Amino acid sequence: MSTKSVRSWMPPIPRPLERLFNSVPLLTYDANELPARAQSSTASDIPTLYVFSTEEDARKGLPSFNPKCLKWQTFLKLSKIPFNIIPSTNHASPTSQLPFLLPARKPSPTASKPPGGIEPIPSSKLEDWVLSQKQKDQASPEKQDEKFHPRQEAYQSLLDVPLRNSWLYTLYLDPTNSNLVEKLYIHPSSSSLWIRATLRHQLRRAAESAILTTTHSVSSGGPLKGFAHGVVHPDEIYRSAKEALEALAYELSIDNRGAEGNTGWFFGATEPGLFDAEVFAYVYLMVRFFSRPESAEGEKESGEEETKLWLGDLVRQAGNGELVGHMNRILELTWPDLVVRDA
Amino acid sequence: MAGSLPLDGSNADYEAIPDPMAPLLDNYLLTPYTLRSIEVHGATQTRRGLLDHVLNPIIEESAKGPTTLGELRARLTQASNKLSRFDIFQPDRILVSVVDQGQPGPQSAIPELDVSISVWEQSRLLLRGGTDFGNAEGSAYTRAIFRNIFGGAETLAIDASAGTRTRSAYNATFSTPLNGNPDVRLAVDALRSSTRKPWASHEEHLTGGNFRLGWQTKAGDDHSLAYSGVWRQLTNLAAGASPAVRDDAGDSLKSSVTHTFIRDRRDRSGPLRQSGYILRTESELAGWGPLKGDVSFLKSELHLNGATPLTLPGVSVGGGFRVGILYPLGFGFSLPGRGIRPSRINDRFLLGGPTDVRGFQIGGLGPRDGQDAVGGDVFAAGGVNMLLPVPRTGPSSPFRIQVFANGGRLVAFKNKGKAKEEGVSSTLDSRTVLDGMKSAVGELVSGLPSLSAGVGLVYAHHIARFELNFSLPLVARSGEEVRKGLQVGVGINFL
Repeated sequence: MSTKSVRSWMPPIPRPLERLFNSVPLLTYDANELPARAQSSTASDIPTLYVFSTEEDARKGLPSFNPKCLKWQTFLKLSKIPFNIIPSTNHASPTSQLPFLLPARKPSPTASKPPGGIEPIPSSKLEDWVLSQKQKDQASPEKQDEKFHPRQEAYQSLLDVPLRNSWLYTLYLDPTNSNLVEKLYIHPSSSSLWIRATLRHQLRRAAESAILTTTHSVSSGGPLKGFAHGVVHPDEIYRSAKEALEALAYELSIDNRGAEGNTGWFFGATEPGLFDAEVFAYVYLMVRFFSRPESAEGEKESGEEETKLWLGDLVRQAGNGELVGHMNRILELTWPDLVVRDA
Repeated sequence: MAGSLPLDGSNADYEAIPDPMAPLLDNYLLTPYTLRSIEVHGATQTRRGLLDHVLNPIIEESAKGPTTLGELRARLTQASNKLSRFDIFQPDRILVSVVDQGQPGPQSAIPELDVSISVWEQSRLLLRGGTDFGNAEGSAYTRAIFRNIFGGAETLAIDASAGTRTRSAYNATFSTPLNGNPDVRLAVDALRSSTRKPWASHEEHLTGGNFRLGWQTKAGDDHSLAYSGVWRQLTNLAAGASPAVRDDAGDSLKSSVTHTFIRDRRDRSGPLRQSGYILRTESELAGWGPLKGDVSFLKSELHLNGATPLTLPGVSVGGGFRVGILYPLGFGFSLPGRGIRPSRINDRFLLGGPTDVRGFQIGGLGPRDGQDAVGGDVFAAGGVNMLLPVPRTGPSSPFRIQVFANGGRLVAFKNKGKAKEEGVSSTLDSRTVLDGMKSAVGELVSGLPSLSAGVGLVYAHHIARFELNFSLPLVARSGEEVRKGLQVGVGINFL
């Protein structure tokens, strides 16, 4: 490597010198061992998905608490690809966003050699990667990608805007959930109050601007007008989320009854796909984190604070509970221990 | 009769010069006098309090009774040396003159003296721009120095720089002498920087500050004790960054106390420093007890460099030795069972490079994950060299031919396979840490160190030292990045 860079600005290396270069080092020992922190992550011989999670959850492979990470974690599980998860931060990602996947390392030719480098796969290319892995295993062409349903695009926008905004608002901007943000995102980053305060501020700002940019871009005539002044309106977010959830529940119900058969998956697919994984990610996390606690229900009747968004309740109320049913069907396939029975 | 005896404050070696008139002078210096007054001229921006700190001892001594001219002269030399070390007056222009009134004062029969000290203050604002050479880095900087801000020799220095490795760095330092003593300074420092670390596929952003107390002992050794709090952010990873680097990406706060000791006994007559030695130690305690923060360790380093001239002019042999250890500690206020966390990449040592162990790339020695130098927790490195004058230019030129051999080992703390069984387990108990460190230290001396040898040309300039070497690696570990052939080194401290 070094000889190459010399060659670029100097005449070619004379033969005797090249022979000399090739003969050194005279003695080569085995590679140095890696530091303790790096040993666990580099020892793995299966792919690693970097997600927002806690150390303990990651060790057990439990669902991530971040919708985007959970979407891909679920999709990989549904695709029956073995993988580890590692709790991480956006800084570790090639796209500055989690999740991303680090494929398994090819075993180095000799044990004495240090492991080689590997390129990470950002979430935007994960679907292709999963398909390529499946094809490798089954040696039969996969038909899933051809079955892109015409309605999917419209429904995708429901996930991208109203559902995402309601998640962002509820978690990051609703002050009653600030403890949850602290626990999930801020405390694991650093024990320093100064860093935590800065991160808290950055997260809130990022959530706010994410909501405002999406509502701006669709505000021309869409159902979301009224956002155009750079102010986040919780009532609007709440209403749009409710509509989106109703629409998703309806889509599930027609597919359940419809001519395409009672598959229980979106758009009558025979197997749950990426869209199912994404809906599941939101639905599961909304039910898990934002369900109205049983005991608090009495107090809520008195109507003291109506701004609080109980997204989990919206999920349960949508349609005839199709979304919770869908969530449980996915859980049966992925984390059977976590199926919600009471619903 | 009025006599005037100029004393040049900056020339401390005055007495060393043999003087044929010495007996006469000695006699003169033993004459008793009383001090009547001291006047300081030209210190218009400087606070009276600062000057009092320096001059009061002289007045107090004189108040006790008559002194000799010799004693007074010694005290004045000391005082003017002190004044020049404040770095607020123009050096070599501190003039002390003593005027003998030639007649006894009203109270006694002893003649009286008047002392007058003339100084020229340096300009209060200094703006500078230029290029800097650090170890293996070139950068351009602008610097503003505000001297003597409140008249007490306080300095505020503001730097902004950008360079080959440093994307940007801003730094502001306010320092003030304590108790009017130029040898004891208290400094407050704020910094923000972002630096590329191509040897480990990332960028590090730092934001923080420190308090530093620096003092010089009578023997001329420098000490400093600093508390620093720095927010480190490891980010912007390269596409091929290894899992070891990805694991350490993100935020951490280092809160630490550092003691630094420097004893520089090198020959100051030329930039080549071909005789004498320099010893530097640094000990850092981070995160332990009330310090908190996200990392907790004890990190110690020792650098020793020395050279001795041979009988032939311009020829010297020299050697360098460096060792360091990073020992992870438990957190003072940690919850029980939280344990000890192994070191992070931004705390570990790197070894190798043109100013360090030559014949290896920067960070070329030690553990590597893929293309990344991930650093180690224990290291030892040493080198020997011989400097010879370049034919025709002679020993007085700043050029030398260098013949050298150097080597080192950089080893990571080992967690004997325990982590692998438990999956992602990030904490250790103190027993495991001790065993791991013992085996790492043992590893240092197992087998030969990674070695290289070569010849080169050295150009010593008072700002930096330049080296062009041709070297070949002799011993290496698999995966260590050797550098065969030519290597350029620019820096201040070489191994």
